[in-house]
Amino acid sequence: MSERNLNRISVIIPVGRRHEALRELYDEYRAGLDAVRMPYEFVFVMDGPYRDAMAEVGALIDESQPGMTQAGMAQPNVQMVVLNRSFGESTAIMAGFERASGDIIMTLPAYHQIIAEDIPKLIAPLETKDLAQGWRWPRKGGSLERVRRSIFHGLVGRFTGMRLHDLGCGARAMKRAVLQELSLYGDQHRLLPVLANRQGFSVVEVEMRQSDRDAFKGMYKPREYAHFVLDVFTVFFLVRFTKKPLRFFGMLGASMFGIGALLVLWMVVERLAFNTSLSDRPALLLSALVVVLGLQLFALGLLAELIIFTHARHIKDYQGAEIIQYPRAELPRKAREARAEKTAAL
Amino acid sequence: MLIDHPKSRPHLSVIAPLYNEEDNVDPLYEALTTALDPTGMDYEMVLVDDGSKDSTLAKAIQIAQNDPRVKVVKFRRNCGQTAAMAAGIEYASGDVLVTMDGDLQNDPLDIPMFLQTIDAGYDIVVGWRFQRQDKLITRKIPSKIANWLIAKVTKVPIKDNGCSLKAYRASVIKQIPLYSEMHRFIPAMASIAAPRIAEVKARHHARRFGKSKYGLSRIYKVLLDMLVIKTLASFASSPLLWFGMLAIPLLLAGTTLLSYVFLHALLVGAPISLPIAGCGVIFLTSAFMMVCSGALGELVYNLGDMRDHEFARLTQTLRMRPAHVETQAQ
Repeated sequence: MSERNLNRISVIIPVGRRHEALRELYDEYRAGLDAVRMPYEFVFVMDGPYRDAMAEVGALIDESQPGMTQAGMAQPNVQMVVLNRSFGESTAIMAGFERASGDIIMTLPAYHQIIAEDIPKLIAPLETKDLAQGWRWPRKGGSLERVRRSIFHGLVGRFTGMRLHDLGCGARAMKRAVLQELSLYGDQHRLLPVLANRQGFSVVEVEMRQSDRDAFKGMYKPREYAHFVLDVFTVFFLVRFTKKPLRFFGMLGASMFGIGALLVLWMVVERLAFNTSLSDRPALLLSALVVVLGLQLFALGLLAELIIFTHARHIKDYQGAEIIQYPRAELPRKAREARAEKTAAL
Repeated sequence: MLIDHPKSRPHLSVIAPLYNEEDNVDPLYEALTTALDPTGMDYEMVLVDDGSKDSTLAKAIQIAQNDPRVKVVKFRRNCGQTAAMAAGIEYASGDVLVTMDGDLQNDPLDIPMFLQTIDAGYDIVVGWRFQRQDKLITRKIPSKIANWLIAKVTKVPIKDNGCSLKAYRASVIKQIPLYSEMHRFIPAMASIAAPRIAEVKARHHARRFGKSKYGLSRIYKVLLDMLVIKTLASFASSPLLWFGMLAIPLLLAGTTLLSYVFLHALLVGAPISLPIAGCGVIFLTSAFMMVCSGALGELVYNLGDMRDHEFARLTQTLRMRPAHVETQAQ
């Protein structure tokens, strides 16, 4: 597919618990998208039955006309997908993607996070890159929040070698192939740039102005902090672990086993040399625990290897390989002569 | 760009992974055509570009434009040599597949000899660099040790696992899972399918252009990978048995400790030692967990697609009544 063919945008808006007046947002986004001068469509995904939002989008659908329309003309096509319960943003994006027909897939948040005028800045890099991730800058928010962000992105950067700044930004634009190859679930939407990069897609961060209404409301809840920690773990496992689990578990298990063995050795020496009775040493329990833990970790690693081994045909290391061949090219002269000689000999 | 299936299936596919080999692509093509054209056989070349950062891909495509027998497989990023081999094997359409280094350390003139060995009835033919042109301390000696270990552990007696020049019967190699850094153990990996393996001498040249991409640091990885393969090759089909064997020493240790404590208390009247009894309980629990892991392994194996009967299908020989006899009877 040549870059020139990138000329239709599907905007997926996952509507979660946090959403604002969608009509106002829709009008703002439309103004931003019109500036791109490409036809576009909207897919709203209700991640759970939010009556107010459904009514609003329903009204938008009544006004809209089917089919992609040229920028600045009439109403763009609007679709709505309603999920009967909340599945999370990743699933909502995938559900929207199933309905999206554009070559460029764009996700935008269902609340004021970025200034919609900056949307063209997000589309422009797709000429050369595969995914553009929004980066709210300059950023509002307190110093504690800034520290949290830099720790989170610093850890992600350590594990992946990618220096990202704002994985929490819901504004992204990507080529269709990106979502076609990744199937997101759980909390993975936030790690989309990381996952895409692992599949070999080129990723770029684009500075976008933050909306005044994207106010940071005090402290994060402990549950949200848990999410950040889990995200870091996910990245860690994806990078260090997927194809060679025994290297990870084996290392961990072997070092545990080693520590336990040293403890046992120490106690045996004490028993033999200093006649310290083993029967009233709690350290014995500790050493047994550590040894057993080491063994169990190793067994887990083997189990993981078994999973990969038995499913290796589905887990390819090289998704998206492209074959280039010119079967109609003319055979080189040398080969033609050799072939002719061979047939003459027969 | 055309993606099209050639009309006739070539007899031979030569697979060469390329990673940052811009200086080697053209000489490689030259060497291959010079070696194979005079034989007059029908062959194709699969050049796998493993996400090179230099002009390797452009050069490979240029070759493909001038020769319909050349297939270029393009990766979006660097995926490693095993992945490149696996992709080459997947997209190759020949009956016999030959893999070789993209850096001309192998000599294409050896290929006809490899083919003859395959025709003689072998499934895998492995090259042995009997006059290796590498540094003694950093390359040759570690490789000797590694090969000796691999042969001992996997019981596939091959002197040189590191030689990329290998020939495979396509029907066998396409069934072998290749991932991580398994390309050095393809023969060991393939031994699950019990193929007929031959080792023949292959010429080896020092690298002419570019740098080698391997160092000493891979030894630890090689050893662990080998352990994995050994385990998988012998026990993948019976994980419960294998984990059960891991559980036996734990079970023995646990029972010994517990019976010692209780017998001691019963016979001598000594107080029960909490740490020792605790150790016994921990070992017993762990034995139990091992068996559970084994059960989980059985589940995994049953849901996977690496089951024995798939490999059995590869090795079986068919004997049945010829079909035309039946049609004549009608």
